Amino acid sequence: MNYTFNWALIFAGEYGRWFVDGLAVTLELSGISILFALLLGTLLTVLRLSRVRPLVWFSAAYVEFFRNTPLMVQIFFWYFGSDPILPDFFKKWLYQQNIEFATAVIALSTYTAAFIAEELRSGILSIPKTQLEASRATGLTFIQAMRYVILPQAFRIIIPPLISQFLNLIKNSSLAMTIGVMELTYMARQVEAHTFHGFEAFTVSTLIYLSLSLLVSFIINQYNKHFLHIGSRR
Amino acid sequence: MNGFWQRTLVILAALALGASAAHAGKLDEVKSRGKLIAGVKDSQPPFGYVDEQTRQIVGFEIDICAALAKKLGVGLELKPVTSATRIPMLEQGAIDLIAATMTHKIEREEKIDFSITYFPATQKLLVHKDSGIKSVADLAGKKVGSAKGSTSEQNIKKAQPECTVVSFETYPEAFLALKQGKVAAVTTDAPILLGIRNSDDHPEQWIIVGEDIAAEPYGIGLPENDSDFRDFVNTTLMEMWKSGEYQQIYAKWFGPDTKFPLPLNWTMEIWP
Repeated sequence: MNYTFNWALIFAGEYGRWFVDGLAVTLELSGISILFALLLGTLLTVLRLSRVRPLVWFSAAYVEFFRNTPLMVQIFFWYFGSDPILPDFFKKWLYQQNIEFATAVIALSTYTAAFIAEELRSGILSIPKTQLEASRATGLTFIQAMRYVILPQAFRIIIPPLISQFLNLIKNSSLAMTIGVMELTYMARQVEAHTFHGFEAFTVSTLIYLSLSLLVSFIINQYNKHFLHIGSRR
Repeated sequence: MNGFWQRTLVILAALALGASAAHAGKLDEVKSRGKLIAGVKDSQPPFGYVDEQTRQIVGFEIDICAALAKKLGVGLELKPVTSATRIPMLEQGAIDLIAATMTHKIEREEKIDFSITYFPATQKLLVHKDSGIKSVADLAGKKVGSAKGSTSEQNIKKAQPECTVVSFETYPEAFLALKQGKVAAVTTDAPILLGIRNSDDHPEQWIIVGEDIAAEPYGIGLPENDSDFRDFVNTTLMEMWKSGEYQQIYAKWFGPDTKFPLPLNWTMEIWP
């Protein structure tokens, strides 16, 4: 064992900037994907809870399909596998763009949407049906009953699992490096390849991921406490 | 309890002996072991790859290692390594030397030693024959595929700051992206490009172009600060060149009738 630790090297000049650049891409990738995942997840829940059979089946099939295949396979499918089915004129334009980043956003948001849909649905279903009936009996419309009675309670229930999904998405975004997106893990590997100081490089990226995740949890929890009064005793 | 301590003591003594053996010269260690353990590539034709028929690792670098083992009068054991694992494995003593398309870089000298150059690769571009790309200058504003952690990745960024480098896990993946039109070129050492080009169903569609973007001299990786072992490897390489054995091995893998024709147009460094 003749490994000499060299922490200064990791932050010196170029390498320190690589970590910052990588973190910026990770944040951008996760932020955009979370937004799309939330929208798509909500849409899937609405379809699932609708009374229209084909929509219910579609939503159920989507959820089972996307949460039961590995994300890595999905990323490779979107990136390499989608090529033969795209029309040529479209490909010509598309491949000039930042197709790697776009593919990563598609893969991450379609995958995470499946989990978010399941959690939203279970949250809404956990509110006893009698509450909806009682609200309707007091004269509220269906929308009002949902808006003022059911959804506020449902959201309280699903906030903790929703945070987990956000955190999972941030961590899963590291898989984007397999198709050449220069996010944080990619940069950590670059630093390792150039310095041969893998221990320091991956310790730094681990700490960045950890702080990022803790920060996201903290912010959401504070928001809940102050604005939604969740978790505070009344 | 007594038995336990006795056994512990025996194990500790054995470990201490093992450790002291490791500090003796590599040359003695290899001879007393009776075999040379070489870290080689197993998917990089024609340097080191698994032969389809025999299921054995064969290649140019394997023959070089075999010549070294023969000179020592010991057997040869091959251990597949990747670009990421080879240096740690040598440092830990899991392998005696590295012959795995490794560029001799000054940065790598911090951890290990190198032999003289045994293969002078240069970095080039692989493009479609109708792409119109002839040199690095034509890559401005285009995407270029490479593999992570490679020297090629850094070199191309320096040679053409206007291009976007997309790095994949392996070169076959970068080639797939090239075939699908996602990148305009793949860049790495010319012999590796030749290998992936010839693995295609229609090799004639792809051409290797461009000036030498960078020199990538391959050296045999050796344990740090073991001068006797390094002298042995260097003198053996030079003897192979002088006796024509090197040229024979080269012709076997890169000769005009092979799948990877590459003229021998360099001279090994020969010390007087």
